[in-house]
Amino acid sequence: MSFVLGTTLLAVVTALACALPGVFVVLRKNSMLVDAISHAVLPGIVVGYFFAHNLDSPLLILGAALAGLIVVLGSEWLSRTGLLTGDASQGLIFPALFSGGVILVTLNFANVHLDTHAVLVGDLNLAAWEQLIIGGVSWGPVYLYVMLAVLLVNLAFLGLFYSKLKVTTFDAQFATSLGIRSGLLNTAFMFLVSVTVTAAFNAAGAILVIALVVVPAATAYLLSTRLPVMIALTAGIAVTGALAGFWVAYVLDAATSAGMSVFYGVVFSVVLVATRLRQRRHRNVREYAVASSP
Amino acid sequence: MSLIEFLGNHTYRMVFFGTMTIGLVAGALGSFAYLRKQSLISDVISHAALPGTLLAFLTAVVVLGADGRNMIALIIGAVIVGTLAVLFANGVTRVSKIRIDTAMAVSLTVFFGGGMLLMRIIANGAFPGKGGIQDYLFGNASVITIADLTTSITVGALALALMLVFWKEFALHTFDPDHSTVLGFRARTIDTLMFATIVIATVIGVKAVGLVLMVAFVVTPPAAARQWTRTLPGMVALSGLFGAVGSGVGAYLSIVLGRVPTGPLIVLTLFAIFLVSLLFSPRRSIITRAISRTRARAALKRELLLASAPAEGALR
Repeated sequence: MSFVLGTTLLAVVTALACALPGVFVVLRKNSMLVDAISHAVLPGIVVGYFFAHNLDSPLLILGAALAGLIVVLGSEWLSRTGLLTGDASQGLIFPALFSGGVILVTLNFANVHLDTHAVLVGDLNLAAWEQLIIGGVSWGPVYLYVMLAVLLVNLAFLGLFYSKLKVTTFDAQFATSLGIRSGLLNTAFMFLVSVTVTAAFNAAGAILVIALVVVPAATAYLLSTRLPVMIALTAGIAVTGALAGFWVAYVLDAATSAGMSVFYGVVFSVVLVATRLRQRRHRNVREYAVASSP
Repeated sequence: MSLIEFLGNHTYRMVFFGTMTIGLVAGALGSFAYLRKQSLISDVISHAALPGTLLAFLTAVVVLGADGRNMIALIIGAVIVGTLAVLFANGVTRVSKIRIDTAMAVSLTVFFGGGMLLMRIIANGAFPGKGGIQDYLFGNASVITIADLTTSITVGALALALMLVFWKEFALHTFDPDHSTVLGFRARTIDTLMFATIVIATVIGVKAVGLVLMVAFVVTPPAAARQWTRTLPGMVALSGLFGAVGSGVGAYLSIVLGRVPTGPLIVLTLFAIFLVSLLFSPRRSIITRAISRTRARAALKRELLLASAPAEGALR
């Protein structure tokens, strides 16, 4: 497989793996929680490295995902105490964890040589560097298969728990009365989001992962009123954006994730303006009809 | 290291007073973001400050031919773009069914992505004085110059003055927006002004603390202060105090300990202040609430036993 093809595929798979759980993230009002999770990745990786001593170890992803889960559960616990209002509970834990991570890195804890800048920004082309070679034939970047596995796990989870997720998202009280353990389901879902964010940060960088998770789903949410439609649209926007963003970045010689997030942003803005104009025209037509009717 | 020795060193003094100014201003103005239930807007602002400063840098170097690291120019750029990011997030929720958390996430990542593209353009081009522009990601408190300090004090004082002048409007709009609109205050104008002060509070710290950690300066002190007080003036004052003291202590510790970076240590100090407040404050805290709950249970049990005792006697 050629390098460009492999990298493009990696971009598409990463975008899909992030965007699909993003549908429920947006509907459950957890968008900023993804931001919090993505920052907790750093200390998780440092501690994971302490145990694994290998930057490619799956323990790293697990450690980082657990750190993400600490942020999620910690924020929920803080807001359940009732002593904090608004979204403050989400903004308290992740800076502390991130600070811990930065301090560990600078103290050279476990001799980990992490470029904190690379953790935040990420580089798809670097992630695609290592090729999987079987029998002398290149099968594309190794990381492509990691992201493919994450995508499959996400698909399986969403497929298995689709109806339960749907009920807990739209009517949590009804779900509880049906006997669905929504707390457990939520924890499992957020753990999955955490794993996805961690796996994707290698390719996209911790901050821009949010773009892959949230923006396609938000754009699809503008365009749809039914969940299956929204999921399909999200997937379509994610893939288109990945392809276009990849080429924008290629032409501009910039980081792919930055190109992708800006492209998603442009699509979002265009859709926002278009739906707004359509609403206004509808309203005008209706007012005209009301005014002209006898 | 003694305190006199500490304050005798120019670099240490700059770090100490620079971070304390940031902590004070961000803590005091963060109270309004906290009470508006939109604390995380500061995270959006700090990320949008990156393209803002980079655009200001490019404008200063390419258009004006001036020094690109002029602190005032960078702050103006960051304030303008930061305010745009806030208006974008709040505007999206107003005109569509997208909710505020998603709108903030979209705004954050789009502006930050734009910043990363600009960063690449600057890194690839030959611009004088582009070194150090990377500091904005993680911040570097040891490069605070006397000019930076005076600029942050001036700009911070300006933001605090705005808050004091519009105190009544801000308070009314925060606690009862409908009433404030009925009284004839223009909601959108007050909103923009209030968020502009929060933008200023966030932006002055980005260079020293870094855009990732700035959110802690805005969120943590008000959350801690809220546990001790019930009035708005008390909260703003205490929050500013917590911010300043936490920053001072964190900066002092980081210098005494040596190799530990300042920003993260301040954040951990602020977090410790918050935890203590959450656990031990006399009026609202986890421990006082647990105690009063146990007491209430015991009292209820006593009452029930007393009430049932005569009834049992009558049966016998």
